[in-house]
Amino acid sequence: MPKRSILHMFDPMPNNSPFDINMALDAGFDVLVPYSNVKLESIHHLTQDAIFSRSPSGIKKTAIFIGGRDMGLAVDMLQAAKPAMVPPFEISVFADPSGAFTTAAALVACVEKALKDQHGGALAGSKALVFGGTGPVGIATGVIASLAGADTVLVDHLSVDSANDAAKQYSRRFGAKLSGAVAHNDSEKIALIADADIVFCTAKAGIRVLNAAVLAQARRLKVAGDVNAVPPSGIEGIDVNAMAEPLTTATESAGAVGVGALAVGNVKYKLQHELLKSLLETDEPVYIDFRDAFSKARTLV
Amino acid sequence: MEKPFILHMLTTAKNLSPFDVNMAMDAGWISAVPYINVEPSEVRGLVQDAIFSRSPKGLLRTAIFIGGRETKQAMDMLKTAKNSMVPPFEVSVFADPSGAFTTAAGMVAAVERELADKFDTTLQGKTVLALGGTGPVGQVAAVIAAQAGAHVRIIGRQLDKAQRTAELCNDEFGDGKIDISAGADADKAEYMKTADIVFATGAAGIELLSAELIAAAPQLKVAADVNAVPPAGIAGLDAFDNGKPLEGSNSGAVGIGALAIGNIKYQAQSRLLKRMLESDKALFLHFEHAFEVAREFIKTAN
Repeated sequence: MPKRSILHMFDPMPNNSPFDINMALDAGFDVLVPYSNVKLESIHHLTQDAIFSRSPSGIKKTAIFIGGRDMGLAVDMLQAAKPAMVPPFEISVFADPSGAFTTAAALVACVEKALKDQHGGALAGSKALVFGGTGPVGIATGVIASLAGADTVLVDHLSVDSANDAAKQYSRRFGAKLSGAVAHNDSEKIALIADADIVFCTAKAGIRVLNAAVLAQARRLKVAGDVNAVPPSGIEGIDVNAMAEPLTTATESAGAVGVGALAVGNVKYKLQHELLKSLLETDEPVYIDFRDAFSKARTLV
Repeated sequence: MEKPFILHMLTTAKNLSPFDVNMAMDAGWISAVPYINVEPSEVRGLVQDAIFSRSPKGLLRTAIFIGGRETKQAMDMLKTAKNSMVPPFEVSVFADPSGAFTTAAGMVAAVERELADKFDTTLQGKTVLALGGTGPVGQVAAVIAAQAGAHVRIIGRQLDKAQRTAELCNDEFGDGKIDISAGADADKAEYMKTADIVFATGAAGIELLSAELIAAAPQLKVAADVNAVPPAGIAGLDAFDNGKPLEGSNSGAVGIGALAIGNIKYQAQSRLLKRMLESDKALFLHFEHAFEVAREFIKTAN
């Protein structure tokens, strides 16, 4: 009997995300095994436990998924899993905490495409703001945009210290060049948005972050992307299905377009599905983090 | 290719019940995924996470099971889950904490069958004593019987606890449309004078109804016991009894034991798990539905 495929799902949280469970099974894994409350220091022996009970051909049908809520921890876990492999006993590992890597990768890829198609522009040299910039999706979005060359600011709504800390920590960690800012109110948002080319909105679902009055003050906005699918949208004037539709609320920015949450969601869904499938199809083990997710997302848009 | 069937199994306890896992797999679910130590406040987040990664068509092959130990908590979690759906993104949910909903349904359905077969009557207007009735199975059996028209009294060792349980049943599970009363175990002999039916749902190994009380009962018709561990909750009743005359009864009562109830419980749980697999819309299932399928099973078995 052929061996069934197994995905070991390591999660530092008390439970796995049902979203990821559905995605993993739909990508073709036969058996999903959740591991909750997993600590970083347990990754090494859990990984070795996973590789030594199957033959090298059997472990081609075995992989590890790393979830959680924390980008740094997920990448640490991915890094800890690699040296635990003992070739030819080695398996693929995919980190996507809270789906943040695939969501951020899809968001930045959609915005990049709109920037190119509508304005002939590129991320390199653009100024980008990430609202909700200190959450899991915000940080991943900021890091990806910065590594692609955008001058990127993580914006927190409460504390400039939180924003600066996150910017510093993740810049150092991933070689990005992030800065931090706070925007408590509309006038502070207006001051930030005046010379921004790109805004990403990754704040909490159901919160209107940028209203028409703020958007009307943007002078050179080219693309705005939103991941909030629960009304009201994070950015006023963006329909959830919009893929580079005119953003009429940005009255002073000629040709500004918006990318809505479901447009991003479609790419994210395909991306996570493809990456999960690649774990099953690859001959050589792969290690997938946000950088790989972004490369793949670029091919999907 | 059709999406595989996924059952997300939530429990507030630190482990799932292996009984429920076996039942889910045998009912046809391909993957049964545990979520343990779940706080009721986490239900909304988990449900919304579960509904947005499949299309509405795929969601017909996705469902949530709510276990745990407490009836009210499970019913509250079921309500929260239902309110967290974003149609057309919605999935079926089935609550059966500690198997109490399906066990209670199995017991009441078996009693109803004996009433029909041996006494040519129904639960309507009958007097029911739920002995040791403050636990999960007792509560739910009391509610199901009351909804079927019986006058139910929950009997406990502590009267105030029995009273609180009766209130909980009436308000939370019966929407204020039923009127279950309470009584103290010390007054059992008096209540037995008018009892038609006895449910024994106390802790394992405790005799709740003695041979003397059975002999003295003037109108007892059916006695049912969910306890499979000797001594039986009802004197002289064997776990395998399934409508056998109750030893020492002067009113011609029959007995139903734990294994006979367990068989119907099994069928009820299995049918509800299958119903979610086959339904073309989201279902929200609890003890009322368990009773429905338990009755359905008895009808087809006859």
